[in-house]
Amino acid sequence: MMYFMRGKVALAFKIVLLSLISAILLMLTQSAFAQREYVIAAFLGLTVFVLAITYFTKISIPLKFFIPGILLLTAFVIGPILYTVTMSGFNYKTGNIISKEEAILLIEARGIEADPAGISFDIKLGISDGTEAILVSDIANLKYFISTTNSRVGIDPRDVTLNEFGVAINAPNFRALTDSELAQADTLFSKKRFVYEGDYFIALEGFEAGVVSRQVLEYVPSTDQFKNLVNGSMYSDNGRGNYSLPNDAMAILEPGWRAPIWFENYSKIFTDPRVREPLVRVFIWTVVFATATVLTTFALGLLLALALNKPIRGRRIYRSILVLPYAMPSVMSILIWGGMFNTEFGAINTLFGSEIAWFSDPNFARLAVILVNLWLGFPYFYLISSGSLQAIPSELLEAAAIDGANPRQIFRKITLPLLLQILSPLLIASFAFNFNNFNLIFLLTGGGPRNELDGEIAGATDILISYTYKIAFGSSTQDLGLASAISLIIFILVAAISLYGLRKSKVLESFS
Amino acid sequence: MKKWLQQDSWRHLVGISISLFSLFPLYLVVISSFSSSGSLQLTSFIPKEISFKNYQLLFNNPAIPYLTWAKNSLVIAGSVAVLSVIIGSASAFAFSRLAFKGRKTGIQLLLLVQMFPAILAISAVYVIMERVYKFAPEIGLGTQPGLLLVYLGGAMGVNIWLLKGFVDSIPAELDEAAKIDGASEVQTFWLIFVPLASPVLAVVALLSFIGTFNEFILARLFLVDMENRTIAVGLQQFIGGQYSQNWGPFAAGSILASIPIVIIFLSLQKYIVSGLTAGSVKG
Repeated sequence: MMYFMRGKVALAFKIVLLSLISAILLMLTQSAFAQREYVIAAFLGLTVFVLAITYFTKISIPLKFFIPGILLLTAFVIGPILYTVTMSGFNYKTGNIISKEEAILLIEARGIEADPAGISFDIKLGISDGTEAILVSDIANLKYFISTTNSRVGIDPRDVTLNEFGVAINAPNFRALTDSELAQADTLFSKKRFVYEGDYFIALEGFEAGVVSRQVLEYVPSTDQFKNLVNGSMYSDNGRGNYSLPNDAMAILEPGWRAPIWFENYSKIFTDPRVREPLVRVFIWTVVFATATVLTTFALGLLLALALNKPIRGRRIYRSILVLPYAMPSVMSILIWGGMFNTEFGAINTLFGSEIAWFSDPNFARLAVILVNLWLGFPYFYLISSGSLQAIPSELLEAAAIDGANPRQIFRKITLPLLLQILSPLLIASFAFNFNNFNLIFLLTGGGPRNELDGEIAGATDILISYTYKIAFGSSTQDLGLASAISLIIFILVAAISLYGLRKSKVLESFS
Repeated sequence: MKKWLQQDSWRHLVGISISLFSLFPLYLVVISSFSSSGSLQLTSFIPKEISFKNYQLLFNNPAIPYLTWAKNSLVIAGSVAVLSVIIGSASAFAFSRLAFKGRKTGIQLLLLVQMFPAILAISAVYVIMERVYKFAPEIGLGTQPGLLLVYLGGAMGVNIWLLKGFVDSIPAELDEAAKIDGASEVQTFWLIFVPLASPVLAVVALLSFIGTFNEFILARLFLVDMENRTIAVGLQQFIGGQYSQNWGPFAAGSILASIPIVIIFLSLQKYIVSGLTAGSVKG
């Protein structure tokens, strides 16, 4: 074995594997660069470089162990975290998704208007003098001409071939596209402007019709403005990702682009009542939900642990049944509970003979969420508490009993405080976990019920993370900038809670 | 004697009532999966009929590619489990056994990174993978390899942290002996450490498997095509999507998918509890 690892086979294996990975990465680097994704390209290129240095030199032995993990962490955890930070400083939402260059091109392309008389022609796509051209039939006036992007040549009606509708399908110095060429013609033809008269040009509408149009909005690179060619008004960059009229901030050109707005997403959270009010409500419920979950799961788990702390009959059977909710894939159990709370057919209402509309009433929905999470979470605290109960020295309890304390006093004065001390880091960790328990909310209630009328997307059972998800993906206007800002605030909160819990456990270690 | 009986009877009372609470939903799913009505109704506690219609539907209905979903879940969760443990154990070994500059800072950084809930960066991951798709459609948004990479990166922090905890508890004498015999660090890792730690590595791999199997939201965002989905996403669409409220097959599908997970879980109970105590929590 030793020989094998030291031998040439291992070395050859290493070289082949690394070359293969590097080759793939270099290929990706190249195509990323070609697509102008420079940051990704730079990261991929750097990866190849780092891999070569680490595994073909003796620069650092620990690095040989760390590099694969570090690279993956950087690409899919640290990278996205940094990107979240960046996004939170941008006006990055529906209508402002693309870059400024792309936005200018789109505004120009869309900034045309059809001729007021609504003239349109039947056309045929083809090639003339080696460039893309259209053969236009003005059937009303029996005029025919070939138009390219820079010229227009009239044709004698006697020279054209007409089809049964009177549309010219062929002419001298013109070759119509074949069906297979037509299939690929979209990119070549659809954005082109074919010469008509004066300011007006012919824009394609599908492959068989052309509409006479003219440019209304024109980009002025020297001043970075858009000019309305018809009425002369100027649209300027408003610094927030749109071109707008100086005296009317609402008159903006679509689409906008993602523009840096620095801390505005953050300040919006605290100052804009439309953002702040739902957020405060959601935050309060998040804290209530996480606290209630920790308390109920811990209480039920502890009760069980105390009850089964003695070798009574059937303890093993109890134990295997009681951990089942924890062992089941949680996605499935949550969905099952969702069905059980159904008003008409649900097993809960059938069992209790009630007719509660669980997910339509805010308070019942909240109760249901906490109840389901109790079911999911109590086995964890049962397992943990039973383990910890064993760790409490029995001398302590015996001493108390000798001193005349009754069982209840022993529990309240000795067992519970000791247990809380041992378990407090785990209670805090559980709080932090439930603070972000997205799956439960998303799969059980979807955050609902919510008031559809006022257009507010936050529902009664939405917690911060599910609300953030809705802001980013779930509604008609997706605001990735704001969602990122809220995400980072949640991270700071959760990290603070977790670090606090960790310090508690450190304090504990130093005592034991 | 009477006092003892009294004490034990409250214990049984608590045990039985909470056992009923935990069994009730599971029992309901089992009887629904064998009923032909296709709903999750509680008509009676004792099933009146035993029908395998729902199970047959899973395997015979071409509109429900259940076996493909199962295969997808197995492949994705299996690859994540194996790869993340191989890569993670190398880092954990280095943290635990090698002396180098910046070790403490590294551990602190890792601690902070593994605290970051992956779901918070979900919009960033989405946008990044959307861009990757533009130049490499094989690994971008909407593909299984892309999802696999994202899972792998996301699992890294927690797994290294968990593995480090386990590795610290394995005595270092053997690898020190190997070192004295002239083995390099890399040899020590592959030839001494990995065989020695293989039970622990297997446990972490299985934990990672369960975690990935259970993952829902990234899988839903990533895997749009019916054929690409994992079991969790596929089954969810059953009762939310076009098959609205189709509980019968959902129940059957959930049971089949849960059995292996429950078995793995119950056999690993001991390690899972100690692993959870070491830092990560579910539920």
